[in-house]
Amino acid sequence: MKGFLKNFIILVLILPLLIMFLWSIVNSWPWPYILPQDISFRAFLYIFEPSTKIFRILINSILLSAIVTFFTLLISLPAAKALAFYDFKGKSLVKVLLLLPLIVPILSVAMGIHLSFIRLGIANTYLGVILIHVIPGIPYGVKILLNVFELNGNKMEFQARTLGASKLQVLRYITLPMIMPGLIVAGSIIYISSFTQYFITFLIGGGKIVTYSMVLFPFIESGDRTMASALSVIFVINIGIVLYISEKLVGNIYKNSSKYFV
Amino acid sequence: MPYILLLPVLLLIVFIFIAGIIFGALQSLGYFPAIGLKTFTLKYYKYIFKDPNFFSSLKFSLYTSFVSSFLAVVVGVLLAYFLLANSKKDLGFYNVYKIPIIVPHTVAALLVFVLFSQSGWIARILYRLGFIHNMTEFYPLVFDSKGIGVILAYIWKGAPFITLITYDILKKINDSYSKVALNLGANSFQVFWYVLLPLALPTILSGFIIIFAFSFGAFEIPYLLGPSNPKALPVLAYIYYKSIDLFERPYGMVINMCITFYSLIMVVLYVLVFQLIKKYKI
Repeated sequence: MKGFLKNFIILVLILPLLIMFLWSIVNSWPWPYILPQDISFRAFLYIFEPSTKIFRILINSILLSAIVTFFTLLISLPAAKALAFYDFKGKSLVKVLLLLPLIVPILSVAMGIHLSFIRLGIANTYLGVILIHVIPGIPYGVKILLNVFELNGNKMEFQARTLGASKLQVLRYITLPMIMPGLIVAGSIIYISSFTQYFITFLIGGGKIVTYSMVLFPFIESGDRTMASALSVIFVINIGIVLYISEKLVGNIYKNSSKYFV
Repeated sequence: MPYILLLPVLLLIVFIFIAGIIFGALQSLGYFPAIGLKTFTLKYYKYIFKDPNFFSSLKFSLYTSFVSSFLAVVVGVLLAYFLLANSKKDLGFYNVYKIPIIVPHTVAALLVFVLFSQSGWIARILYRLGFIHNMTEFYPLVFDSKGIGVILAYIWKGAPFITLITYDILKKINDSYSKVALNLGANSFQVFWYVLLPLALPTILSGFIIIFAFSFGAFEIPYLLGPSNPKALPVLAYIYYKSIDLFERPYGMVINMCITFYSLIMVVLYVLVFQLIKKYKI
């Protein structure tokens, strides 16, 4: 019974992706065949054909999301620190404010701010898209780093300061290594959130800034299963690689750091 | 000092996020100087609240979000419990369940389309087994007015997310209280129902709120899998918004304000739930 249940769960999780993968490598797969009749890599060839620019857009999207991730972490780090180690007026209000983007849809916000972005000249630019992508990442960045700070405390930093380390040295040799696992986990979530955004990129980028999600969307919309599947396979693999690398990094850091901290 | 550390994040939240909501609210009230509308009026609200299309959209969005989030929570918690029961043996399985979390919503829509449309894989299987003789005999699950395709996509994405956030807390409770209960003669169903579930309830609720609010306010899945009538609220808002006639835009903003209003209720619930978690120290 347990084995059956387990296999059923795995089937539900994996089967849709398997069918999608098959769709990505067919020439045609007409009703009512259960397996594809002739295999072809035309969709992948099309994607990597330089004249379609899809591969370049993929690279651009990876860079864009990497910048969004870096910037979100950069501003979340001090905020998480402030929330972890200081008591101040309005702390609970700030906590709620930073939580809002997790629950209030970014879609409504983006439509509301769009006009202001146009006025400021940052609509249809990378800057505007990066700014709007940072917003949904903030709750994750702050919350995960806050947990890490609360878990680790700041005794280490105090000790280093007392022993004469400069602020920069403390950051470089104590704080960053200590919170690195948290940074990597938060970073991968923020990266995925940014990389998979369709609507707000489309709205704020005005069609001028084209990300990978925007290449994929029309193919799904028009029901072109082979192209949509091939693009999706690359999409999922890309995210998988990023996560794999980050999990390995976290693993390594824990392994190395265990000598000193745990 | 803490204020300086918080400044960059707060600047972005206030000047993009909060400002976005406020400008949206102003436009919904008819204050839209860019096209010469400068007097505050409730006429857009009155119009939208009289529109039967709006109410069928609101109902559709509430219904698909609630059903999908509820089922995702049930499936997700059961999956977490199942993992707990045989976690130590099977690390590979433990990682497989996370796959839907990293699959983007647009791709999840494609998966539902490929499997459940009338020419999809499930229909082909049923045809081969002789249950249906024609693809049109397969009950339409995609673009259907009951939103089944939308709900399926959200459950597939949502359930593993619920598993992810409830697994740790269930494990913690299981390690401490469950053994006591088992020792005192409870059976495993009683342990689950009377010990694990109540203690994990705040965490489960917070997960429900997150996925409910997300599905209520997201555009991609209902746009790709939903019926053309009724449309989900975010889709309806966007249609008004993108209209070439800029004077239509305030109507879209009214709908956005409704979405925001419902999600703010969710925020209040979320904060209350977290106070519960703190109170009981779980």
